[in-house]
Order: sequence, then structure tokens, then C-alpha cells
Amino acid sequence: MRVLAMIMAGGASENLSVLTMVRAEPAIPFGGKFRIIDFSLSNCVNSDIFNVSLLTQHMPRSLNVHVGVGKPWDLDRSQGGVRLLQPYLGPKQSGWQRGTADAVRRNLDFVDEQRVDTVLILAGDHIYKMDYRLMLQFHQQSRAQVTLGVRRVSPFETYRFGIVSVDSDMRITGFKEKPRRSKETLASMGIYVFDYEVLKEVLADEKPNDFGRDILPKIINSHRVFAHTFEGYWADVGTLQAYWEANMSLLAETPALDLYDPDWVIHTRSEEQPPVRVGTEAWVGGNLISNGCIVEGVVERSVLGPGVRVAPGAIVRDSVIMNDTVICPHARVERAIVDKDVYIGESAEIGYGVDNIPNRLHPNRLNTGLTVVGKWARVPNGLKVGHNVIINPGAKEHLFQTDFIPSGETI
Amino acid sequence: MRVLAVLMAGGAGTRLTVLSDKRAKPAVPFAGKYRIIDFTLSNCVNSSIYDVAVLTQYRPHSLNTHIGIGKPWDLDRQRGGVHLRQPYQGNNADLDWYRGTADAVFRNLDFIQEKDPDFVVILSGDHIYKMDYRPMLEYHVQKGADLTVGVMEIPLEETDRFGIMTVNRNMRVTEFHEKPKDRDKGTLASMGIYVFSTDILVQRLSEGTAEQPRIDFGKHVIPDMISQDKVYAYPFEGYWVDVGTIHSFWETNLAMTSVEMEQVLNLHDANWVIHTRSQERPPVKLGPQARIIDSLVSNGCVIRGQVERSVLSPGVYVSPGAVVKESVIINDTWIGPGAIVDKAIIDENVVIGAGTYLGYGDDMTVNHEMPDKLNTGITVVGANTQIPGGITIGRNVLIKSGCLESDFPGTDIGSGETV
Repeated sequence: MRVLAMIMAGGASENLSVLTMVRAEPAIPFGGKFRIIDFSLSNCVNSDIFNVSLLTQHMPRSLNVHVGVGKPWDLDRSQGGVRLLQPYLGPKQSGWQRGTADAVRRNLDFVDEQRVDTVLILAGDHIYKMDYRLMLQFHQQSRAQVTLGVRRVSPFETYRFGIVSVDSDMRITGFKEKPRRSKETLASMGIYVFDYEVLKEVLADEKPNDFGRDILPKIINSHRVFAHTFEGYWADVGTLQAYWEANMSLLAETPALDLYDPDWVIHTRSEEQPPVRVGTEAWVGGNLISNGCIVEGVVERSVLGPGVRVAPGAIVRDSVIMNDTVICPHARVERAIVDKDVYIGESAEIGYGVDNIPNRLHPNRLNTGLTVVGKWARVPNGLKVGHNVIINPGAKEHLFQTDFIPSGETI
Repeated sequence: MRVLAVLMAGGAGTRLTVLSDKRAKPAVPFAGKYRIIDFTLSNCVNSSIYDVAVLTQYRPHSLNTHIGIGKPWDLDRQRGGVHLRQPYQGNNADLDWYRGTADAVFRNLDFIQEKDPDFVVILSGDHIYKMDYRPMLEYHVQKGADLTVGVMEIPLEETDRFGIMTVNRNMRVTEFHEKPKDRDKGTLASMGIYVFSTDILVQRLSEGTAEQPRIDFGKHVIPDMISQDKVYAYPFEGYWVDVGTIHSFWETNLAMTSVEMEQVLNLHDANWVIHTRSQERPPVKLGPQARIIDSLVSNGCVIRGQVERSVLSPGVYVSPGAVVKESVIINDTWIGPGAIVDKAIIDENVVIGAGTYLGYGDDMTVNHEMPDKLNTGITVVGANTQIPGGITIGRNVLIKSGCLESDFPGTDIGSGETV
């Protein structure tokens, strides 16, 4: 079996608000020093798949820099390796990719050159450790033409997923997109194994743009489509709340996702940083802290990316703080997601008060009390910021007219 | 100006006891994730010297693995780059192991001549410092020197530990005394950093005879050159340590945990990065009861107990209830529940059983076997050793590499013992 993995990394993922305003979702830092794409990429190489392409479209720059020639994953190879595929213009092409299926269709000529017989389609924005070899084996053994990765979800969550029904051989007999209530609880993970010939056949029709919505429901009856069950930790971090929860779940004593497993290393492009330095007045407990951090204040139940500085007297709780952010003396950050290179001034407070008014511009995105601060923002000294507030990337001091931003505001 | 740097990395570093049993001194881990040689190698590339030879002899394996093709230092290059040079045999019957620093360079003269640099910078692979070699090279050119020696002002009472240079007003070296007992030779100590004009280096190293051997730079080559060549001293101001002893190794590591250190040797300086081959490890994980102050903690560590004024290398595990104080713990060591480690250096992959107290008591009896090396209260544990649980181990104790639980007497170990 010759396999090519194609990772979908082009979506705009607007639900992640300020995090995806400056980068593609797969390039968002996660768990301190990692980025979301590291999980799918590492799964590939840990499953002996060394021919990987990444399909990009939305703000790919930081993804390009991160993946580079694929060195951290040993994907800098002369045969196979990792390739970044961008949208392009050509005689028969115009416009941007309109969905996952469309993105693959526009790169079919590339797939053809790879002379593979099986294509593994993956999402670049899931956090999980999965051995794709088991799924590929299952695909072969059941003589399937298409195999979907599925997992059991709670009946209350079926409304978020495509739900499949299967027969006793795990052949898929039905497919419902986001049913409110369903007896079936096998949810599609957005991971597909396609026989290459079948992939070409289904993409020959120019209309369908999306695998999950348009293509799969149609081919259940005409092709041998099977479901392979994955048991293990899996998180789609497509919302701010899910992103925050997935980070926090790493802090558990025995987290569902073990980053310390020497047999399934999550590879990443590490920044070159010295060890963490913890100062005299520091108080730390229940955290993940990355290299290059200097902690001199209180940090509890938080995830710190590389190079974060927490000054004496500052307090960080229940938060995700990304690379090189500076938190000045006596500042307080609680239940927040703070992007890279943010400056939080002296005695400023993020997550102030006890109310929980949803964000007024995006009540559906931010309603759980989290406050998000975009990259390069500068929060002035002494400013108090409530809950569910969005501070946009690059916000400078002068944009803050008052010394109090009530909950639900957007700057 | 073509410059070749030659790093001396072949010494045994015996004063570091078990730390240099299995590895050359430049490969000994330092400040958590670094190794001693990283500082000199990074100085080279940060000074735009991309042609570097590393001369090895003693236990080079971990150095070879660490340096590899030089990728972390961007020394994996088509032209130049890093070259690891081993002692070798040839047709000349007299070829043997290197007998000293100058001898090691002499055996590699053909390599140096092939590279054909204008200047050769000879460096020691076991010093901790940040130095831009470019001003020193400029100085060498301006003075029209044949040899320039890096020197440092040191306190008068320490002059008997160094090679002392006496200079005239123009900084030309007039006298050189290796570890002088008298205090009248001045306070300029040689740092073991030499810039040679290549022709002179080749000439002086080639003219060795039985009466005038050319084995060691400090003992033979430099004293001879002072009378006949232009030898200048280049004063260096800044932080510089030779971590040659157990005590200075321990002290310098612990100094890296302080805020003040950022003024003198800042590891976070983005303009002078100390490059190293980083292990691929997840971030530091702290349990809910973790308590850490004044420490350096590297990636991949899991801390669930207390750490005070200590330096932890990647992958160290501190169990709940364990206490680590004023210690240097090297990669992947496991410290059991309730164990206490006080003023110790613990090499990689050691297991410290639950409830064991390492560095126990006030008894400062010096080590019986090595009274000259272990006498300041520091207990040292060699790599891959398994220490049983529930015992106490005193101070100045030496526990050798690879000990198993059965190698221990089953009782407490008093200060000054060796296992």
C-alpha cells in the first residue's frame, strides 16, 4: 500500500476569534511549545507515513515557517517528505478553494504524480494521538473503498458531528449531518481513507466542495464505505472554550493525552530557549511551563508558552499564555487566553469581576467567561478588563479610553 | 581574514570525578540543557567564525553525539563547518596519543595547512563565558602580533592557580610564569585563549626537539616564544569560569539560577544565543503541590515536590513530597516520594529510592578516597545508579556510576564514604 496523507490546513476557523485573525488554525500554539498541526504531523510519521502534504489557504505564513522543510518530523526527505500546497491560479483554475473536497480536487495532478494507491485525508486542527496504520489495515481487510474514522460521542453532543449508522461489519449504512437527537452515537472525525481511484471518481464531478457534507452521504450506497472506530483522546479545538479546555486537561495528574510518552513523541519545531527560571518570590503549582520562561510571580493551573515573563507580584490563574508575552508586576490574569507578544501593564487585571455577560458582538463564540487578548496587544497599566472581552490583535494603549472594560466588550 | 578555531576537548577532567568517567569534560551537562562546550562553540559562531575543529581524545562518544554535524550551531556547512578530529595512527612509528595541547595541534598541522587560515584561534572547550573573538583578532592584527593571549585580571591571592603574564606598557608580554608561588608577577591570568598567526604557529610547533619539546602551550610553546616573537596580552573583561572542580561546577550551576546572573551571563540574550542540541521534550509539568523557587528547570521535567535553588536538566522527575535543595540534577533522574536531596550533584538516569535522605547531617568529613576533590560538603552520584529507599547518605560521599541497590551496604552511609 502506498499512502499519501493530505492534511487540511486551510480553513478560516472564525470561531477562534483573535487567534485565527493572525494565523491558520493549525498553527495556533497548544500545550505550551506545540502547535495544533504537530499532532496530525507527528501521527503521520509515527505511523510510518512519510509522504505528507499540507493544503493551506487561510493566513499560511506562520504555518509555512513552522513546518518549513519538515526537519523536526524527519520529513525533510528526498523521497516523499512534507509539501505545502497553496491555492494557485492556472488556465482552468480561478478563485479560492471552496472546501475540503475542492482543495483536494485542485491538487489531483500532484496526487497523481505521487503514484499512490491510497490517500489519507486528515484535518489539521485536531488534538489526538492515533496510529493510522490500524485504520489502513482495517481498510484493506474489509476491502473498503472508503473508510471513515469515527468515535463514540455522548448522545447530547451528536448535534455537533456527522453521525453514521453501521451494520455488523462496520459498513456504513446511513449518514446524518449534525442531528439534534440521534440513536446512533458514532461520529465522523473528519478522517478518511480513500482508494485513489475512488477519490478521482468522486471528485470528477465539479460540484461537491466538502467531503463530509456533499460527498460521503452520496456514496454510501454506491461504494463500500466503512467506519473504523478510534478509542482514545480526541479533541476538535475549533472553539475558544474547547481550545481552553483541551489545554487545561493537560494539567491533570494523568492527562488523557500523554505528552511524555517516549513511544509516541509529538514532534515540534522547538524554539531555541534556555531552561525555565523560577525566581525567589515565585509560587507555582499545577502548570505546564515551557523553556525560556521566567516566572517570578504566582502561576497556577496555567499553560505557558516559551519565553513568557511573569514579574514579581503578578498572578496568572487558569489561563493559556503564549510565547514571549510579558506580564508586569502586580498584574492579574485569570481565565484568559493571551496570544503571543502581548504586554500586560503593571497592576492591570484581565478577567475582572464575577459577572458573565456574553460578548456583545459574538455572543455565540464567547460566553463562558473567558477573555481573549490578541497578538501584539498592549494592555495599559492599571486597566481592568472583565469577562468575555475580546481585545483585538495589535491593540495599542491609546485605544483604551477608560481604566475599566466591562464584560462583553470588544476592543 | 581567514580564521580557523581549534577547540581543545580532549582532556580527562579528572577533578570532576564521576561526571567525567564516561564523557569528556566539555560534554558534561551544564545549566540544565546545555553542555560545557556549547559556550565556546556558540562564541565561535556568534563571532562569525564558522570554521571550527574540535580535538578529542578522552571518551569522545557523548561529545561526538552532541556535536554531530554541527546543526544547532549552523556549522553544518559546505565550506568550513565543524570538524571533529580524533587521534589517529599513521606510518610514522612515533605517532601516539596526544601528550598535551600543543602536541594535539601539532598532530593536526596538515589539517590546518590544508585550511590555510591567516589566523588560528586556540580555545579551551571547558570554560563558561561569552566572548566576541573578533575584537581580539583585530587587536592581534593592529599590534602586528605573532601570538595574542587572552588574559583576565584576577585577585592577587589566586595567582598561584593560573599562568600569570607580566606585560609592558604596550601590553607586550615580557614574562610568563605557570602557577607562580610568588605574588610579584602581576594579576593578569592566561585564559587559555590564543590567537596565532598561522605561519608562526606552524614554525614554532615544528621545531620541537627532545631538549625543547612542544607538548603544552603553557609550559613549552609560550615561554619560548616570549623571548623571540611578538607576544601580546589581550585583556578580557566579563564573566569567565573554568568549571574544573566539583565545587566550582556546583557553584557556577547554582549561580545561574539568580537574577544577578542575567547581568553577567544572560542565557536569555537574543543577541548572543547559546546554541545547544536540544532534546525533544514537552514543557515542564508542575503538579498541584509543586513548589519551586530560585531554580532553572528544563523541558521534560515533571515536578510534583519541592525544588529550591537547584538546576534540573531535561526529564528529571521529582515525586510528591520530595525535596531538592541546592543541587544539580542531570537528565532523566527519578527522585522518589519523600526523598530529600541536599547539596548534591546527581548524574543522569539515577534512581533515588523513596524516603532516602541524600546529603544528610552536619558531619563535613571529607571524602576518604578523594580528600582533594570532595571536601566542601557536596555529595556526588554517578550515572545510572540506583539508590535504595529509606536510607541516609551523608556529605562528601561519592557514589560511582552504575551501582545497583545490591551494591549498597544496606545501612546508612556516613559522610566521606565512597560506594
